[in-house]
Amino acid sequence: MLQYFRNIWEGFWTPLVGLSLTWRKLFTPAVTMQYPEERWELPINSRMQLFVNMDDCIGCLQCERVCPVQCISIDTVKAVPGEVEEATTGHKKRLHVTKFDIDMVKCCYCDLCTFPCPTECIYMTPSFEDSSPDRYGLVYHFVNMTPQHAAELEEKARQFDEAEAAKKSAKAAEASATATA
Amino acid sequence: MTPEAIHGALQQRFGQAVTAFEADAIDPTVTVEASAIHDVGAFLRSEPGLLFDSLMCLSGMDYGEETSSLGVVYHLHSTSLRHTITLRVEVPRQDGVVPTVCDIWRTAEWHEREAFDLFGMRFDRHPDHRRILLPDDWEGHPLLKDYQVQEFYQGIRVPYEGDPPEIGMDVYRFQDREDPV
Amino acid sequence: MCAMARQTAGDELGISYERQGDDLVLQMGPQHPSTHGVLRLEIVTDGELVKHITPHLGYLHRCFEKHAEAMTYPQVIPYADRMDYLSAMNQELAYVLAVEKLMGLKAFPDRLEYIRVLMAELQRIASHLLAIGTYGLDIGAMTPFFWCFRDREKILDLFEWVSGARLLYNYLWVGGVAHDLPAGYTDRVMEFVAYFEPRVQELNSLLSSNKIFIERVASIGILTAEDAISYGIGGPNLRGSGVKWDLRKEEPYGIYERFDFDVPVGTGEFGVLGSAWDRYIVRVREMLESLKIIRQVVDQMPGGDPNEAMPRRIRPAKGEAYLRTESPRGELGFYLVSDGTEKPFRCKARSPCFTAISALNAMNHGGLLIADAVAVVGSLDIVLGEIDR
Repeated sequence: MLQYFRNIWEGFWTPLVGLSLTWRKLFTPAVTMQYPEERWELPINSRMQLFVNMDDCIGCLQCERVCPVQCISIDTVKAVPGEVEEATTGHKKRLHVTKFDIDMVKCCYCDLCTFPCPTECIYMTPSFEDSSPDRYGLVYHFVNMTPQHAAELEEKARQFDEAEAAKKSAKAAEASATATA
Repeated sequence: MTPEAIHGALQQRFGQAVTAFEADAIDPTVTVEASAIHDVGAFLRSEPGLLFDSLMCLSGMDYGEETSSLGVVYHLHSTSLRHTITLRVEVPRQDGVVPTVCDIWRTAEWHEREAFDLFGMRFDRHPDHRRILLPDDWEGHPLLKDYQVQEFYQGIRVPYEGDPPEIGMDVYRFQDREDPV
Repeated sequence: MCAMARQTAGDELGISYERQGDDLVLQMGPQHPSTHGVLRLEIVTDGELVKHITPHLGYLHRCFEKHAEAMTYPQVIPYADRMDYLSAMNQELAYVLAVEKLMGLKAFPDRLEYIRVLMAELQRIASHLLAIGTYGLDIGAMTPFFWCFRDREKILDLFEWVSGARLLYNYLWVGGVAHDLPAGYTDRVMEFVAYFEPRVQELNSLLSSNKIFIERVASIGILTAEDAISYGIGGPNLRGSGVKWDLRKEEPYGIYERFDFDVPVGTGEFGVLGSAWDRYIVRVREMLESLKIIRQVVDQMPGGDPNEAMPRRIRPAKGEAYLRTESPRGELGFYLVSDGTEKPFRCKARSPCFTAISALNAMNHGGLLIADAVAVVGSLDIVLGEIDR
């Protein structure tokens, strides 16, 4: 009988304890934020949208290879000797990057691609508010090269290769000629 | 008890059914005949001095097409005697049958269903022998090394064939992206 | 029994509402707020009583194990994160330790080991906060949910500061970490510890000692110790049944043997041992124990470079290894087989929630009501991402 009344009393009292706590919280400042107007500070190494600094990219394909979801696709064309530029880190850009696409829809924001990059030109930025009405809007094209330009570069590289090959075969022929003579 | 002693006890009790013992492996492994696994399990579970009362993990295995065998690996542990042993059985790739151990360790029931689902070996006398992770009408067992995905599942095309044609992409194609930092 | 239930249900695919005799088959889920994800429970009911529950899984199956066979070892870590997205650090830790066991790596800088423990324990608190909050929500107590999430945000802020991401970190690597702790990190952790300890007391007076809550859950979903061990259940669900079993104590991985902490177990102080309330209160008490560990970690945190011993190339020799750790949801194991290449030949994840949900019928000793089914499922703290993988 005593237990019965004690249960009733506890049934009233323990929720009241909780209610008084909740009531006290009414007078503490809110922890929520009015998001678009108020913003919180993001840490420096926040992992949001990817960005590639194409001036430094040497087309080594390391980021493409390490990506676990294959969201990076890169095409390169060999640069002829006269056109080799230098990245700001001093690396030689021996390849023209004709395509550097990152599909941010597929990206899993794992940050694995930024570590092997020799020139540190691919990195994650704290910008997270990119949106698009369709899936292709989040495919970022970091190279603005027209297909014609890419084809020209390719042609140039092919011609250079051919010239090299011709030179080499001529040399070989000459060497064999001297050997026989 | 050391793994060697456990292997000795098993060999004494089952003789020919214990086929191999890898003492140098990271987890010492005893290989037994598939048909004997239920008796071996019951022995390990109840024998004083062994008392393996917990089945930590039961995994299906595909040892590759060249060995043409599937396997089931049992990781056992005794919570009272604190020793560990790994059992392995091998069955043929086609129509492999392993006696169930789910009346010895209840946790095996679902793990065996999972192994059947992903590898396709049958578990004899299993009380509820159904697929568990994949739909009931799925074809094939995906974790096999030679698995070919089915063409259609209930009218839906299953294999992934790259992105659909790029419609509406030009709008975004050559937008200039600024470094947001 | 199960086959009978399916026959009663009639349909080939088992989806129907059909009465036969006194039984009615109810489908709970896949879209149900109390199943914590996409889980379908086929409940055979007799009036208001539950006779048999058949869980149907696979709605969130993402082929983790098949994917892992096509990835190099470091590439699997982001996928391991996504298995149990509420305790990603613990998933990473388990996977990474398994790879290290496979490679035979042992000697690591002390700082790395301490960082790992710090992250695992912070994540344990975050995960338990979510479990407790959503459990209250399942029962109908809404305030604890918001309070728990408020506190969990602070932990996620800490994780974001160190790794850059809030939920899926890819922070613990094989033999190293992605970034060293930023300057002043341990001070912020201590700030959080000081802030959080009184919050646990608040939570206790709000929910744990609430008579209505206790009466609701203290005598349902009873899991006996024998059943729990036989079903391979670990973690708070096992300790709620009164078994003092914690892998951090029993098989200390990492440097857990250096820390002094208790293993709280259920005692059945209200109602029956092994009930839903016991599992709940074990989680609350475990958070305090984790705080204890975090204090010791911060006190002893050594200096140096955590990535000193990071292997340049991860290519384990031929072999296989199984390693289990104590994740917030129980015993999480990885079984890795290597064929000597850079990709795992087989990567099996032994998930704690998978075994927990398989014991659902063992918790029905007759007299389980339909409404109690929600409370029992909630008390197991399941994450469907880990069950289905």
